[in-house]
Amino acid sequence: MSTVPVEYFLVVAAALFVVGSVGFLLRRNLLVLLMSIELMLNSVNLTLVAYNRLRPINHDGQNLAFFVIAVAAAEAAVGLAIVLAFFRVRKTIHSDEANLLKN
Amino acid sequence: MEALHKQFPNEDFALIAIVLLLPLIGAFVNGVFGKRLGKDAVRLMALSAIGGSFLASALTFVMLATQHGEGKLSWLAWRWMGVTGRMGQTIPVDVKFSVDAMTATMMLVVTGVGFLIHLYSSEYMRKDPGYHRFFSYLNLFCFSMLVLITADNLPVLFVGWEGVGMCSYLLIGFWFTEEKNAKAGKKAFVVNRIGDFGLIVAMCLLFYYVGSVHWDGIEKNANALLTPIKIWPIGNLSKETLPAFLATILIPDKPVQVYGATLVALALFLGCAGKSAQIPLYVWLPDAMAGPTPVSALIHAATMVTAGVYLVARLHFVFILSPAAMAVVAVTGVCTALLAASIGLFQHDLKKVLAYSTVSQLGFMFIGVGVGAFAGGFFHVFTHAFFKACLFLGAGSVIHAMHARIHDTDKSQDMRNMGGLKRFMPLTRYTFLASCFAIAGLPLTAGFWSKDEILWSAFSVKITPPMALGGMTPFEWPSWLGQAIFWAAVLAATMTSFYMFRAYFMTFHGNFRGWKIVKGWKDPHAGHDDHHGHHEETGPLEGPEPRESPAAMTAPLVILAAFALFAGFLYAHPIHVEPLGHLLEGVFDDAKRVVGERPGVEDMMWPMMGAGFAAFLVGTAAAMWVYLNKAGAPERAFAARMPGLYRLIYDKWRIDELYDATVVGMVDALADIFTMADRWLVDGVLARLTAALAALIGTLLRAVQNGRVQVYAASMLLGLAGVGWFLAAPHAEVVVDDTEVRQSGQIKLSAAPGYGYSFHWDGLGQADSKLSERSDVTVRLEPGEKKDVTVKVKNAFGLETSKTVSVSRPALPPGMKPPEQPKVPSMVRPDIPTGEIPGDEIHKLLLPKGAQ
Amino acid sequence: MKPFDLIFFGLCTLLVLLGGVGTVAAKNPIRGAMGLLMSIVGIAGMYLQLSAEFLAAVQIIVYAGAVVVLFLFVIMLLGPQATTAAGTAGTKPSRYFGAGVFLLLTLGAMSLVWRTRSEIAAIPKPPANLGTIEGIGRELFTTHVVPFELSGALLLVAVVGAIAVARGKQADPTRDEPARKPLDKGPELRAAVTGTGDGHSPHVKEAG
Repeated sequence: MSTVPVEYFLVVAAALFVVGSVGFLLRRNLLVLLMSIELMLNSVNLTLVAYNRLRPINHDGQNLAFFVIAVAAAEAAVGLAIVLAFFRVRKTIHSDEANLLKN
Repeated sequence: MEALHKQFPNEDFALIAIVLLLPLIGAFVNGVFGKRLGKDAVRLMALSAIGGSFLASALTFVMLATQHGEGKLSWLAWRWMGVTGRMGQTIPVDVKFSVDAMTATMMLVVTGVGFLIHLYSSEYMRKDPGYHRFFSYLNLFCFSMLVLITADNLPVLFVGWEGVGMCSYLLIGFWFTEEKNAKAGKKAFVVNRIGDFGLIVAMCLLFYYVGSVHWDGIEKNANALLTPIKIWPIGNLSKETLPAFLATILIPDKPVQVYGATLVALALFLGCAGKSAQIPLYVWLPDAMAGPTPVSALIHAATMVTAGVYLVARLHFVFILSPAAMAVVAVTGVCTALLAASIGLFQHDLKKVLAYSTVSQLGFMFIGVGVGAFAGGFFHVFTHAFFKACLFLGAGSVIHAMHARIHDTDKSQDMRNMGGLKRFMPLTRYTFLASCFAIAGLPLTAGFWSKDEILWSAFSVKITPPMALGGMTPFEWPSWLGQAIFWAAVLAATMTSFYMFRAYFMTFHGNFRGWKIVKGWKDPHAGHDDHHGHHEETGPLEGPEPRESPAAMTAPLVILAAFALFAGFLYAHPIHVEPLGHLLEGVFDDAKRVVGERPGVEDMMWPMMGAGFAAFLVGTAAAMWVYLNKAGAPERAFAARMPGLYRLIYDKWRIDELYDATVVGMVDALADIFTMADRWLVDGVLARLTAALAALIGTLLRAVQNGRVQVYAASMLLGLAGVGWFLAAPHAEVVVDDTEVRQSGQIKLSAAPGYGYSFHWDGLGQADSKLSERSDVTVRLEPGEKKDVTVKVKNAFGLETSKTVSVSRPALPPGMKPPEQPKVPSMVRPDIPTGEIPGDEIHKLLLPKGAQ
Repeated sequence: MKPFDLIFFGLCTLLVLLGGVGTVAAKNPIRGAMGLLMSIVGIAGMYLQLSAEFLAAVQIIVYAGAVVVLFLFVIMLLGPQATTAAGTAGTKPSRYFGAGVFLLLTLGAMSLVWRTRSEIAAIPKPPANLGTIEGIGRELFTTHVVPFELSGALLLVAVVGAIAVARGKQADPTRDEPARKPLDKGPELRAAVTGTGDGHSPHVKEAG
């Protein structure tokens, strides 16, 4: 149905992954960290679906992406709960403040 | 007697075990349980141990004597080890003990005199809190000494050697709470150690050259020692390896060679010099007087110090092969005798006088064995044990009495505080006098016979050098050497009698000077006192007047004095009353082929004895005149006129200080260097460097473990990037299968596959391009041919890499044909048979040969 | 290629990448969540192009409709503290480092594709049921039924866990003794609980 080469999608996914990782590494805001994780998961999904389109023997790629979405949702929920608990204790969501185990 | 012989046959003479084990058990019991047992039980244990040992030794002696001293009683305890020798043979080293005539005599001396000294010290040390410890050590010493003299081989002797060294250390430093005593013990041990090095070297040389270390084996193979050994230049030194100017000085034209016998003998003599206090290792013996007097009597007079003489006599078959070594021994002996005698002339401490006397007499013994009179030297050991032990015990008796009065160790031994003791201690005086006569050489006393035997042997000896082998000229004794030794020894004998009688007169005659020590003490016996009320010392020292010692102390004195006077007749060679000599003949017989008499001296024996007698007379008379008649005034005048010389001799020629400055100073400097190296290098650099390195690595690693999630994520990404790079890059690996290369020359090369890989091979030598795109190719090689094959790998991303392998086929050995190539069936026209052929068989005819 | 496909693809790419950069770079987390939404929608568009219609729908419903909303809830719960202080996006050099890395890797990915552009094969024609509910459903409930059920359990566990973590210590009359005060979290916490009085505090006012 689409004639865009699948490899283009791979490049976009790679770029999105990089954006997500750079954001994860550089931002200190816990919420932004979680959102960066979501971006990375999305990029992986895109790659999976693209490959599935390339070899549509079965729906493995799309099924896996499906499960990834489910797990990502669960993980986002729990992660946000942790952010809330953290906020309650430390009064901030700056990730550098999560250093009680340091030294 | 027969029953005894049957019970203890010569080869399995278990009595030796009894002789050895009794003192050991005594040492163990006294050492471990002594404190609990109490003084009486300790005394009983110790005395019975050594007494039992003496009885067993006496029995051994009798059993040996009934065989006319020919046999040898031996007892094997166990096999210790086997050493691989030069020719690959196994040299057995067994814990084996054997008794021959010399050993039996020595055993009697050790256990007998040991018993008397045990008896003496049971009274002498009565008030000492370390009573049990003392007897434990004393018994242990006797055990070690017995091991030494009954050992059948050199390693076991070395065990005993070390054992007596250790016991000597323990006993010298018996009162170790005082530093002086501890230092004396240490000094004895360390100086002995230097000698032990020589003994070990000798053992190794014997292992190597003779291939045996037990006495019989060495005796049999002693001639193996007559191999010349190059001692200079050593190792790699030669004219080629050194620069020219050094080579002319250091490398002689002919290498310096000595016989192995000389090396062994000199190494052994180093050990003896350490143990028996000869130059240069005698310095420990005077200091050893810090120990209790019975210790001095037993160890440093009668037994341990004679171990060196025993060793030389035992290994006489090695020594006679080396006149050079014998000369060294004799000359060292006479020099030591002179040196020690000169020091003894001016000493004030009674025990020090006796110590230097011991060193001097040991010198005499070494003169004896050095000139080949092994029996004579050994006999002097025998007699010296008696009179020296008696002298020491007598001195101990005197000191015991003085100590009861003065309570100061140094002052109670100082002869300047003694005098006139003959009134108070008559028994001690007479036994001391008897021993003085013996040591000075009053005719017919033991010392006279033994010393005279040595002097005569030195005068009359002629040593036959061994044959010249291997281009060597062995050392020959100069004709004047024996006589020079004789006259020097006579001089030493004169000095001996002088200082011995000096000691006697200063101690026992005259007025008792010990009153001065005590404030206000009146001498109830003297008519007038010269220094009444003159207080030389500070502080009052109360004490009774000197009294005779109890019987336990005087009985040994009497017995020993009797021996000192009459034991000489056991080997009075000139008058041919020599039962001991007959016994010892069997042991030293083989020395006769080397040691002989100079021509023309047979008639000079009695005149030469006169020289010895004259030495005695001159020395004694001089001592009597100086110390009895003139009360020591000439000595004081000499000290006043030549104070420098007097002080020099009094300070033992400052040899100790010389050693301190040179050897000990060297070792101290070395230790200081090592301390500095330890402090700067090890503690400073190495320790800090290691710590800094660990800290650095820790700091580096800690940066990764800082608890921040993002740092961990970054590390993960780095790893991920690495993996991604690895996966994205193409990899070219070639597996070479050359199992068939020898037969057919075929080598299979396979490139490792990968996702989307395409290959291209080069260098195959084939023009077939289709084949070169596969992942597996086969290369055929001729024998001796080598090819370089390259594979280019391209992966799905279009990235390329390549790898080259070189394959080769080994060349055939000359004369071999390459294996036959399998014949490819050639296309030959099949034989078509003519004639009538059934139709369905025609197709068969067209098949190639072999496939039908 | 049909031009429409390419334009659509370009549009979705813009959405995705701009949304991603916006998420990462925004100071205000609300802006970040909006960026995330943009990115998710873009991804959904791409799924459409890749014959994964069901997945596109699921993406919108779950991701955009649930996850992003959850994010927004939490941001609003946290209130003004959700915005971290200035200068939080790493130090200046690390920001440039990050940008550089992004650039590098993107260029690397593009170059890899560029090098093999001659070998880009035509996309094979997909089977008719690729990406349809029927196609996915058939596989999901036969081949992948175990992971399917397990993911259900996973979601249950996640829900329980989220509640447990986010709830905090509550005064429980059946657990503690009536006379005992609940564990004191410290005066500051009490102040926070009573202080941020925008009414969205999940805590029950502590007794005593």
